[in-house]
Amino acid sequence: MAMRMPAAGMVAAIAAVVGAAVGGGIAALEAAVRPWRAGDFAVNAIDAVGPRPVCEVPDTLFAFGTVAVGGKGSHEFVIRNTGDAPLELTKGATSCSCTVSDFEESEGGSSNAKVIAPGGSTVLKVQWRGKGEGGAFRQQATVLTNDPRRPRVAFVVEGTVVPSVAAEPPSLAFPRLSAGSGERATVKLFTFGDEPPRVESVGIESAESKAGRCITLTSAPLDAAEVAGRQGATGGVAINVELLPGLPIGPLRQTIRVVLRTPEEVTIDLPLEGSVLGDLAVTGRAWDSTNQAVLLGAVSGRVGVQEELFITAKGPHRAEVKPVVREVVPESLQITVGEARPVGNGAVIRIPIMLTIPPGSPPANHICSPQAPAGRIVLETGHPDSPTFTIPLCVAIGQ
Amino acid sequence: MTHAPAASFRLIMATAVTALVVWVGVVCTGMARPRTAAAQPPGGVPAISGGAAAGATGIPDRGPGVSDEVVATFRDRNGGVFEGWGKPRAVVVITGELDGYIEPCGCTGKENQKGGLSRRRNLLKAIEGAGWPLVSIDLGGQVKRFGRQSEVKFQSIADGLRTMGYAAVGFGPGDLRLPAEELVAAVAPVGDQPTPFVSANVGLLGLDANITPRFRIIEAGGVRLGIASVLGDAEAAQVRNDAIEVAGAERALQSVAAELRQAGCSHQVLLAWATPEESRALAAKFPQFDVVVTAGGADEPPAELPRLSGGARLVELGHKGMFAVAVGLFADPARPVQSQRVPLDARWGEAEDMIRLLGTYQGQLESLGLEGLGLAHARHPSGRRFAGSAACAECHAHAYEVWKDTPHATALATLEEQKPRRDGDPECLSCHVVGWVPQRFEPFEGGFAGMKATPHLAHQGCENCHGPAAAHTAVERGDVRASVQERDRLRAELAMSLATPEGKQQAVNNCLQCHDLDNSPQFDFDTYWPQVEHPTPESEKQASAGN
Repeated sequence: MAMRMPAAGMVAAIAAVVGAAVGGGIAALEAAVRPWRAGDFAVNAIDAVGPRPVCEVPDTLFAFGTVAVGGKGSHEFVIRNTGDAPLELTKGATSCSCTVSDFEESEGGSSNAKVIAPGGSTVLKVQWRGKGEGGAFRQQATVLTNDPRRPRVAFVVEGTVVPSVAAEPPSLAFPRLSAGSGERATVKLFTFGDEPPRVESVGIESAESKAGRCITLTSAPLDAAEVAGRQGATGGVAINVELLPGLPIGPLRQTIRVVLRTPEEVTIDLPLEGSVLGDLAVTGRAWDSTNQAVLLGAVSGRVGVQEELFITAKGPHRAEVKPVVREVVPESLQITVGEARPVGNGAVIRIPIMLTIPPGSPPANHICSPQAPAGRIVLETGHPDSPTFTIPLCVAIGQ
Repeated sequence: MTHAPAASFRLIMATAVTALVVWVGVVCTGMARPRTAAAQPPGGVPAISGGAAAGATGIPDRGPGVSDEVVATFRDRNGGVFEGWGKPRAVVVITGELDGYIEPCGCTGKENQKGGLSRRRNLLKAIEGAGWPLVSIDLGGQVKRFGRQSEVKFQSIADGLRTMGYAAVGFGPGDLRLPAEELVAAVAPVGDQPTPFVSANVGLLGLDANITPRFRIIEAGGVRLGIASVLGDAEAAQVRNDAIEVAGAERALQSVAAELRQAGCSHQVLLAWATPEESRALAAKFPQFDVVVTAGGADEPPAELPRLSGGARLVELGHKGMFAVAVGLFADPARPVQSQRVPLDARWGEAEDMIRLLGTYQGQLESLGLEGLGLAHARHPSGRRFAGSAACAECHAHAYEVWKDTPHATALATLEEQKPRRDGDPECLSCHVVGWVPQRFEPFEGGFAGMKATPHLAHQGCENCHGPAAAHTAVERGDVRASVQERDRLRAELAMSLATPEGKQQAVNNCLQCHDLDNSPQFDFDTYWPQVEHPTPESEKQASAGN
């Protein structure tokens, strides 16, 4: 072995030199013959020899401007074969809103494929339809080719789909409604036709329900400045929504139905959703909203743990909320109530609550199981409708 | 006898070593030639060890175990990825505008759809596997709808983004329509891992609560990347959430931009959930950002990133999380940045941890149930209740026989067979059972409420097109006494005809409630109808007339 290692090393060294020479030669040859293209990957060696097709497309992007929802458009892209071998084209994938017309059948071709002789050309007709709710539109159709430099060509059409009516916002969501106080909101309906819109009717789908009776709707034309704020709009209507106090606790799911004449009759359904909750809520990273409990999990009694929660208060009595700790389980749990601060415009008050299980706490099991029921933090709130507020707590304090 | 094999072994080994070293020499010399990253041919990219999900070229072009054939199919269909890329100093993968599409957009032939967290996960793993230093960031807009399901979904997506190691995630207006209490719990740090959520001007429970940082600085591959996120003023005006404070975008960015300038970042990215016009304006006011990501673009991002007048590259992401955009940062001063639009198609395969996450999400929906999800039971416009398809079969035997052999008759089973199963997901159920409002994902009164309570309303049955038939069947069975006129009126209510343009349009509109652009993009009534057509035979008409 001792004799063979130097020999092996010599073989390797010679091989490396040979390899370097061969590699360098190949690299130099490549550098000489390959027309490197900036911004794209390089051509394959196959390009260098023999007749080959060359796929040339003057344009791969067509900007159509605008199209109405449901309206159709089309554009013909030109494909040329400037090579010296037949260019084979096959229809590839298209986006959902685009279609590509069949190729004219040619010799050796089909509706999905076409062969272009050297020097020849063809057109690819791409059609699209303005679908959806309007807005920016970009779709593409692809053609696969046997040109090794351009095996796939993507033809892109882009523009703007203009709806007959656009709602801003398209739905109303009230994340946390207070049963005791009202809310207001406005939806702007913009139109894009020649005539100003006329409101035929505005109503709530379930007007006879308890929630429906707490919702009032009015409409008014948008002024010129508001209409000008929406690109392309020619008219508009404001739908004013007022939620009256007295909404039932629980989820709110209603639909506002507006019938406009533009002059065609257009029906717009605007979802109105929300949650009507009590005025007090808890949050924080340890808050599990599904189980409505603070999850501290297993805690070492030797090390302890600290976790910050927030109580949020809204509604007409929010300023009166001043939590005072009345009871805690487990007993080692320490609670510090921080300073109440208004959030944003002051409609919500934020009160930090620091939970501390100090080092040296004795074992206790309140992990929220049948054998180990939840611990709790009971607060006196100062809120006239919710004078006490109990926060369940899942924790097991070990040794 | 014993020496010959040993000699052969040595000969084979010597030949192999020689071949290997020659190959190394060739490759190394090839690598040593003057080059730019752009000029590097795909085949010339050095093989990268550890690239379990990378193709033969070492380029991250597929998920683990995905065959060359699948990669070729989707390369032809949606374009290649990272072709011509050398190894970047770092690559920033940008996602966003998921719009709630936690799985590939739509349900018709998942392999034909794009998007989903699972494929995104494999893209990121493939990039890491190729040895490219990676920074993943997200514009925001995880959900678009409101309600308990969206809250649970947001939490699941936030967990998924953490698992994927996202460095920065912004907020979209759909996210901020959720209760702030839910958002705080979802975005808060987990253990020692800081929250990836970041915003210069959005403050959950107030800007001074500091629930999320205002910007983030990340180092990867020697690149020091500053990332800011902002909600545009026009979008902020749409957010009605008293427990969330939103400051003006420009004002908030002024202080963040100053801090980023002082932090010595080599590159800066702005995640702007704003209209393209507002994003362009912000880019012009804060030219220090090299990349500005905007919302409000078209369905698909452009193939190339446009350069703004100030030099920044503008990134659009498309909708529904169907694409990611990768921005590669290179040492080559001639071409320091390259970009790649990455379609998240079937070439990326499925990631086990994201599939588990989806399973947990579906399990949560199942355990919450329809009531726990707060789904309202809307009254059907007719005011009537549902009977189930089997009740129709008592008289309409021919139609039932036709229906029984269509996919409509096993629609719910397709959800049960999914992994994870989707039969507890209202967004799926609404088109796979009888008696739901398809586009609102909620049941009508008396509609399907689970296999235990309403097994007769499973699958996509007769009454979803014809209307609720409980009153009709009760009269026809004689369970309820009714005049001939009332009986005929109930029959007429459920009859459908394609003979008139209005009748056909009504039928088409009904189909489009489920066969929509997401779930049935190729739907064409005239093509599909013959597959489910079920005209009433003369014998049934005569029997009906005789009663």
